[in-house]
Amino acid sequence: MKRDEFLMQMDEILGLASGTIQGHEKLEELDNWDSTALVSFIALADTASGVDIPLEQIVNCSTVADLVRLAQVESN
Amino acid sequence: MKEPEVLKALRYPLAPEVILLKRRALKQDLLKQSNLLPIRIAILGGSTTSEIKSVLELFLLSHGIEPAFYESGYNRYREEVLFENPDLWKFKPEIVFIHTTWHNVSEFPATLESAEEVESRVQREMSQFQSLWEKTHNELKAVIIQNNFDLPRLRPLGNLEASESFGRVNFLMRLNAEFASYARGHSRFLINDIHYLSAEVGLAEWHSFNYWYKFHMAVSPAATVALARNVAAIVKSVYGKSKKCLALDLDNTLWGGVIGDDGVENLVLGRDHPVGEAYLNFQQYVKDLQRRGVILAVCSKNDRENAQKGFSHPDSILKPEDFSAFKANWDPKPDNLRAIAADLNIGLDSLVFVDDNPAERSFVSQQLPEVAVPELGSDVTCFAEVIERERYFEVDKLVREDLHRSAYYNSNAQRAACESDFCSYEEFLASLEMTAEIGPFVPVYLERITQLINKTNQFNLTTRRYASAEVETVSKDPAFITLYGRLADKFGDNGLVSVLIGHIAGDTVNLDLWLMSCRVLKRNLEFAMFDALVEECQARDIREILGLYIPSKKNKMVAAHYSGLGFSRAGETPEGGELWRYEVPKDYEPRAPHIQRKAHAVAVADIA
Repeated sequence: MKRDEFLMQMDEILGLASGTIQGHEKLEELDNWDSTALVSFIALADTASGVDIPLEQIVNCSTVADLVRLAQVESN
Repeated sequence: MKEPEVLKALRYPLAPEVILLKRRALKQDLLKQSNLLPIRIAILGGSTTSEIKSVLELFLLSHGIEPAFYESGYNRYREEVLFENPDLWKFKPEIVFIHTTWHNVSEFPATLESAEEVESRVQREMSQFQSLWEKTHNELKAVIIQNNFDLPRLRPLGNLEASESFGRVNFLMRLNAEFASYARGHSRFLINDIHYLSAEVGLAEWHSFNYWYKFHMAVSPAATVALARNVAAIVKSVYGKSKKCLALDLDNTLWGGVIGDDGVENLVLGRDHPVGEAYLNFQQYVKDLQRRGVILAVCSKNDRENAQKGFSHPDSILKPEDFSAFKANWDPKPDNLRAIAADLNIGLDSLVFVDDNPAERSFVSQQLPEVAVPELGSDVTCFAEVIERERYFEVDKLVREDLHRSAYYNSNAQRAACESDFCSYEEFLASLEMTAEIGPFVPVYLERITQLINKTNQFNLTTRRYASAEVETVSKDPAFITLYGRLADKFGDNGLVSVLIGHIAGDTVNLDLWLMSCRVLKRNLEFAMFDALVEECQARDIREILGLYIPSKKNKMVAAHYSGLGFSRAGETPEGGELWRYEVPKDYEPRAPHIQRKAHAVAVADIA
């Protein structure tokens, strides 16, 4: 999965219009970044790249770009 | 209105990853529906429940139910009830869903523990759950949906886990049997069968070690979708939103081939052909549904004579008399489905339309979005499973009336045929030789009365729902007038079909509830019920009857009910309900001369 596609999936998870998330957003400023979104993100990373992300690594993320790196998606 | 594309995600075959990904957008779309039924559900979890809540919400919304949720603290399902968490008590749940799994078993038997010790361990475990259930019933007055037990993925004892009494599989199966036994004895206690669901999904998919250690989710996110759909089906059955009628196409749906072209002798049906056997088994599944109370109808583009010939095939399990409505003609199928709903006096939203032809399915979906149209595909080996997995016909209880439902509707068809032989409707009613049993609620009928209260929508003046405990309470309270009505005639017994509840204040009785099953419409039973009500008022010195009509999307047919009985308008309630007043006369002329009243069941109940 390419980065742009991954970001669009993040839009879906967060209930935002497609194209909203660019990568630089701070997680603490995203209203819908909650435990449900977190579980969905882990499932997405598993589906997209077959990556199993440990919880403590996600907790250390501060931006969407950090999540993208963890999910090991391909650059565009 | 065509069904929004996005909602197809909630239909079989489910794509859990799509639902999980799009749940926020799905929720927004589903919230655009009108006339959603608000309910309060408490989820008491033995593990993490936030995922379940978010997906359950989607499925409930898709059934027209808008839930408000209360979630217990993690693994606090027992304490929050037993120690009366004030937030939970304040929330006043109508439904309590107890999401426990095998992880919540207090202690499994030790290896080589004696059978007696294992049995007492089963009873100890049960008593812990029972104290929780009883407190929930008695104090929260809520319907309980309780998971039974799934099985662990790991089996240290191998196959002995199932055969030895101390084996964990065997222990969990014993507990499941005890849970089932409790459910049989308690009408407001419903099992969410996760033992079956986990097998359907597969244990490796059901429970993920990864999600367990990360989030203490006992059910993986993907399997949560199956779990939530099952719980939603139970909730919808509690609120009378399950489907009632299966309307079936014939050619290449109930048999292989086209009866009009191929003739009955060339239909593919029977055990001598693999595809024929699959059609036969599908017919058996349909027959099984009919036997448990699902109404069957034919909706086929065929000459009627040809259509009926198909059922004369020697291997056909289904026969014409199994169908309560039979529409075989060349009219558009949406027209025939409307006619079926009208004939059976049920709403279009009670119909499930089954057709192998995708064009017909699409046309019906577009024209009649209220009708459920499963994506059947073209492979007959999958037809039954597609219908089964949609959980259309989930019921919270089966009572004797359910099993006779087809017979009631078939008798109605006979009555309709007979009606045309008479000059007047009065003459027709007289010919039916109707007898009614009308009396105060008695224990033997409480289950049926509760069922009727919670599923009747059309002939229902207030659409108020009562839990069985409330029905029992009003039946014993002298400050209430309660009446049930059974109706029989020369074609058959319709069973218990009408219910009335009123509370007495001074010399006035306020009618809180008055409903009647649509299968006895236009038979004047409502007049016989009114006769009985007036008699009761006269006996209790009640001078005034205050009727209440609360309009809903589905009860327009009773908008003129009170004016028709001679009530006069007496104002409105703050919620928009209409109040109607009737002064009880000293000399009252009964309104239902064609219905002979017979003794009601008080004596039977007293003996019981």
